[in-house]
Amino acid sequence: MKQLRPAILGCITLVVFCVIFVVPFFFIALQAVKDRQGSSLLNFSWPSETQLWQNLVDVVQARDYQLLLAYFNSTVITVFSVTGLVIFAAMVGYVLQRRPSKWNKYVNFAVLAGLMIPPAVVPTIWLLQQIGLFKTIHGMILIEIAYNLSFSILLYRAFIATVPRDLDEAARIDGAKPLQLFFRVILPLLKPVTVTNIVVQSIAIFNDFTNPLYYLPGKDNVTVQLTLYNFQSQFSTQYHLLFMNILLVTIPPLIVFIFFNKQIVEGMTAGAVKG
Amino acid sequence: MTIRLNKLLLGTTAAGLIATAAAAETELTFLVDVAPDTIAVFEAIIDAFEAQNPDITVEIETRPSGGEGDNIVKTRLATGEMTDVFLYNTGSLFQAINPENFLVPITDQPYADNIIDSFLQTVTAGENVYGVPTSTAMGGGIFYNIPIYEQLGLEVPTSWEAFMANNQAIKDAGMVAVAQTYRDTWTSQLFVLSDYYNIQADVPDFAELYTMNEAKIATTPAALRGFEKLQEVYEGGFLNEDFGAATFDDGLRMLANGEAAHYPMLTFAVGAIQATYPERLNDVGFFAQPGDDADNNGLTVWMPSGLYIPQSSENQEEAHKFLAFVASVEACDIQTATIGAQGPYLIKGCTLPDEVPPAVADLLPYFQDGGQTAPALEFLSPIKGPALEQITVEVGSGIRNALDGAELYDNDVRKQAQQLGLPNW
Repeated sequence: MKQLRPAILGCITLVVFCVIFVVPFFFIALQAVKDRQGSSLLNFSWPSETQLWQNLVDVVQARDYQLLLAYFNSTVITVFSVTGLVIFAAMVGYVLQRRPSKWNKYVNFAVLAGLMIPPAVVPTIWLLQQIGLFKTIHGMILIEIAYNLSFSILLYRAFIATVPRDLDEAARIDGAKPLQLFFRVILPLLKPVTVTNIVVQSIAIFNDFTNPLYYLPGKDNVTVQLTLYNFQSQFSTQYHLLFMNILLVTIPPLIVFIFFNKQIVEGMTAGAVKG
Repeated sequence: MTIRLNKLLLGTTAAGLIATAAAAETELTFLVDVAPDTIAVFEAIIDAFEAQNPDITVEIETRPSGGEGDNIVKTRLATGEMTDVFLYNTGSLFQAINPENFLVPITDQPYADNIIDSFLQTVTAGENVYGVPTSTAMGGGIFYNIPIYEQLGLEVPTSWEAFMANNQAIKDAGMVAVAQTYRDTWTSQLFVLSDYYNIQADVPDFAELYTMNEAKIATTPAALRGFEKLQEVYEGGFLNEDFGAATFDDGLRMLANGEAAHYPMLTFAVGAIQATYPERLNDVGFFAQPGDDADNNGLTVWMPSGLYIPQSSENQEEAHKFLAFVASVEACDIQTATIGAQGPYLIKGCTLPDEVPPAVADLLPYFQDGGQTAPALEFLSPIKGPALEQITVEVGSGIRNALDGAELYDNDVRKQAQQLGLPNW
């Protein structure tokens, strides 16, 4: 009896997780191989005719190979914004944590304001227009950095509190300059929280839909999430192609997870133990 | 990015120095919503246009449709970032983007004369006309499944009473009489909106009085009928069992496969049926929503989207050329060749092929006899309340009665009228 209970609990957990994570994914994959008529039913029936390859080709070729361009744009935006986020947030978090000054409360207020006050679209566009960054990829990267910076700073600041001050002092005694101190001593120590940051923020930025929609208009500036609109509209939706597109869009994060699985799990647990 | 920037700089300098240089190679940008049919048609039209105008290229950019799309259009107009030409709704939504401040009038352009008058009134603001029609006029009414009608020996109803009798006969035969699909809430409005021909037959100047806040839907018996019809269909028990959860696509499936006899919808659905159930296209017919008077039976008509030029465009001359091409008989023929005929065109001189789907063939007589169509209310009055679809879902699923729903809608409308700054609200 005593041995049975954990087994039953384990089974229930497995079933619940299966329903939450696997079933939707299976549903997407199933619709993606159907033809238009079959997929418009949106049910779990086995496809009468599978046309996986045909759907794949249709989606990739749609609108003059737009999906490939979108992959490129999304990758550029995600990689550069996450890099920027990690460096800037770690720096701000470090200074905020280590150097109490009368500015701290204003900076803290600004960070919290960044979390709480929703950004307005039209004034932001005006600003971007005036500094010539509207409709450019680097403008978009800066927007993603600005919108997500507050959250990253909070993560870093909390973590830096657990890094002993003695390390800073030891480095300084050995003759490290401030920048050396940060980049060669502190930043490597922040690896666990950096991994958390990279995972959370790259998923958020890669999946971002509304910001590119408003701040990055233009045919050549499309991102992967925006390609979903190629196949759906108010009156007529090609579900088989839509789901194939969703499947293709979910693949890059999946690959990243498979390859970096070990580092991600290590990073998260390391952070948890230290905290 | 740098290349693009250079091009832009070069373009502006050249345009400033030598006027002719600007025409050398102009790129027109063009914003459309993403319905697959729309893009297919415009790609074909643009190919033909570029062949005639080798110095102009047109680049399609897409936007979502529905509420998100409205926001995009308004944001881009307000920030001066609109493309050189864009596609947008006519009627009340067109009034809501403040055309006099943002759009270029086409009143004096020669191609404006090609457009049929009934369309012009839906793209007119103040003194001027702003838009060119892009596809065919649509009818709002009721699709029916021809095999079910033949099997039960029914006739196409011309009065509401006859329609309800048909419904009863279909129900008695053990079939679903009316398909309703309230998960896509916009589909719930059809019984109310398609009833406008019947309102106008009874109160000819209803739209005007309504805009002036002198007539209300709840207190005008003819206008209230639309809500009552919605309620009657629910109370008769004619609906499909899953009407609250079914989608527009389900509605088309039920109609095409004979799982339901009627589906109130706009005739653009012919295109969707053609794409998804091509072998069933000949099983689907169409009739206007019948009124209480069998002798006065007519169709409520929806106008297609229009093409507009924003004042922020730097290539207005080329944009006019493109609009002129779209407003030509050639463009109609290209559209017919690309997606088939879906209804009457709004350009003078355009014709339909002899072979059209039965639902389109059913639609044409209303236009030919003359005087048997009325534009939908949203094209005659700038007021359309944002919550109509939620209210019609309530009335259509028996949560609220017709009178209550109509009163609630009259209140909903007030907000929009005040926003538009109409007098007397």
